[in-house]
Amino acid sequence: MALTGALAFDGVAFSYGNVAALSDVSFEVAAGERVALLGRNGAGKSTVVRLVTGLVRPDEGTVWIGDWDTAGRAPEQLAWRVGSLFQHADQQLFARTLREDVSFGPRALGFPAREVQRRTDEALDALGLHASAAQHPYDLSPALRKLAALAGALALEPALLVLDEPTAGLDRAGRARVAEAVREHAGRGAALLVVTHDLAFAAETLQRGIVLDRGRLACDEPLDRLLTSAERLKPLGLVPPPVAALSVALDLPGRPVRERDAAHTLARVAGGRSAS
Amino acid sequence: MKILGLDDVTFWYPATANPALENVSLDVAPGDIVALVGRGGAGASTLLLIAAGLAPRVTGGRLAGSVGRGGRAGIVLPTPWTQVSGMAFTVWDEVAFGPANLGWPVHEITRHVDRALERLEIAPLASRDPATLSGGELQRVIIAGILAMDPDLLVLDEPTAELDPEGARAVWRLVRSLAGEGKAVLLATSDVDALPDVADRIVWLEQGSVRAIGAPSLLAEDAMCEAGLGTTVAGLWRAAGLGAPYPLTVVDAVQRWR
Repeated sequence: MALTGALAFDGVAFSYGNVAALSDVSFEVAAGERVALLGRNGAGKSTVVRLVTGLVRPDEGTVWIGDWDTAGRAPEQLAWRVGSLFQHADQQLFARTLREDVSFGPRALGFPAREVQRRTDEALDALGLHASAAQHPYDLSPALRKLAALAGALALEPALLVLDEPTAGLDRAGRARVAEAVREHAGRGAALLVVTHDLAFAAETLQRGIVLDRGRLACDEPLDRLLTSAERLKPLGLVPPPVAALSVALDLPGRPVRERDAAHTLARVAGGRSAS
Repeated sequence: MKILGLDDVTFWYPATANPALENVSLDVAPGDIVALVGRGGAGASTLLLIAAGLAPRVTGGRLAGSVGRGGRAGIVLPTPWTQVSGMAFTVWDEVAFGPANLGWPVHEITRHVDRALERLEIAPLASRDPATLSGGELQRVIIAGILAMDPDLLVLDEPTAELDPEGARAVWRLVRSLAGEGKAVLLATSDVDALPDVADRIVWLEQGSVRAIGAPSLLAEDAMCEAGLGTTVAGLWRAAGLGAPYPLTVVDAVQRWR
């Protein structure tokens, strides 16, 4: 069976020994789509990332990357289609300089030197890392190490980008940089699946929210609708991010969840009030 | 009484010409919750390492000025997975690792470990292998391990980075209740929206120096919003071109809007 989506989970179950992590999970992510994977700690989100990158295999069901069944592919083969950022990005870095680390993926895929250099430069550019390129990754702050690991994933130019908590510990400028880089990557047709607790980042950057609850799919819908519904979020362990909460509290028309939209709406409504 | 007193502290990491912190003075008393806010690289993590006694003792480097202490400190690092002892096969033993190394009698260790697990709401994980935990579960285990050592000063570097929103709120509530019991808390977080309800004092760090110290209302001031460090609501008010003073929180905004 060949599926058209960039990623599809079809009835997937997985356990760590006797601890069940995922049960009967099915969803698809299309090319160019930007999807948030949400839920409590321990809901099974990082397990999804491990399944997509081929680090673990489903006990039941199938994980499709395009028309590849991941069960028959090694992680290094999947790297032709999947780029990933793990939750603890430190564990992804090992080279002596940041540039060497970012270029590892395209080198390992066997691209010629010029292509490796182009991809490395573009990925370093996308995350504003050129100034740190010659440094040892462990001389950098944890935040920069995270950006470095993300640059390594971007350098694969993958059809599917899977990120686990890409903004944890980043300041606002760092979060904005990540948002811009991943939006641009999706704009070139890549599918994006982002595990995050940072619902503000999700609201700004992503379109659709899939929520896991104790290993099961609890909800799959557009983020702007999901994030403005405190009653729906609460049982899933989620809290509306400040912009969504403000939109609801002030009853702003259209309930915007992105900062720019909300500022625009706020200005318009305030202007209308002072005129009347 | 002071738990921590930094007087004109300047700190250099090994083999660096420029200091990571410069002329920083700061006092923390029992019951205080002091939050460091700044952009990445502003020096917050360095200041916390100094407060916990790890810099320069463990990191190397050189410190000028003086650091005074009125009690024991415990630190939760921004990379909690590097703080796991690796010596324990259950969460309970992991949390007991610190107290056991303080040489406490067994009943004292037990009491503190049980209490810490309860306060972090992870008692159900007590018999799990730490290696099988999710990132957020592990972060709570590490916080519990520090708490179990009963430090006078809790030093928390991005303590909610790995937590879901519900878990993050629980940790912030815990911080408030610990301060209520007389613990001093010095923390750094990029979640500035949590701070109005948590912190007593905000310290704004910029390029290794203290730019301002004040009440949480500092997070709604124009200069902090300009630097991208104000609360989301304050920033939004400012971006909409509505006049200062900006509201700090959603609740403030609703009052202002009426």
